[in-house]
Amino acid sequence: MSNYVKWEKDFDTALERAKRESKFIVLDFFNPY
Amino acid sequence: MNTVTYSNETVINFLNNDVVAIQIQFDFKPLATRYNLQWTPTIIVLDSKGKEYSRTVGYISPEEFIPTILLGIGKAFMEQEKYNNAINTFKKLIDNYPKSKATPEAIYYYGVCGYKNTHNPSHLKTSYELLKNNFPDNEWTLRAEPYQLL
Repeated sequence: MSNYVKWEKDFDTALERAKRESKFIVLDFFNPY
Repeated sequence: MNTVTYSNETVINFLNNDVVAIQIQFDFKPLATRYNLQWTPTIIVLDSKGKEYSRTVGYISPEEFIPTILLGIGKAFMEQEKYNNAINTFKKLIDNYPKSKATPEAIYYYGVCGYKNTHNPSHLKTSYELLKNNFPDNEWTLRAEPYQLL
């Protein structure tokens, strides 16, 4: 078990993974400032 | 979100294993425009084609995060007419997070999907009774009130 979230950074990669793994995507828009 | 919710072990496990999690800065174009971003944090449930099914705006506590996302996934399955998947997702939410703010809506749609799956109205009535007994003052109980007559 990891102690941090392994966020995808690239949207197309996330779409491909979601299709391959039959999962939904959780997209978090954040403000780093 | 990063310092509290996304540092919670249960939330980390859920995001790493049950969904594809992606974090995008609020001003990143064209995604911020595509999803009409107005405020942060905004958390959106999408399918593998990028179609949006639900969104939530503002901080979500670790306790509410997973049930909130499960509700969105259940509604996504419902919209896709995958009623068995929707029922299983709503049931997981109801069973594992009985005190969540998302639970009354999940109970409501659990009944709706049960009805859509079988055309048996008893599912709607059962949902109403569950809502009445567990969340008597909730808005979803009021929305289900006509089902007591079925």
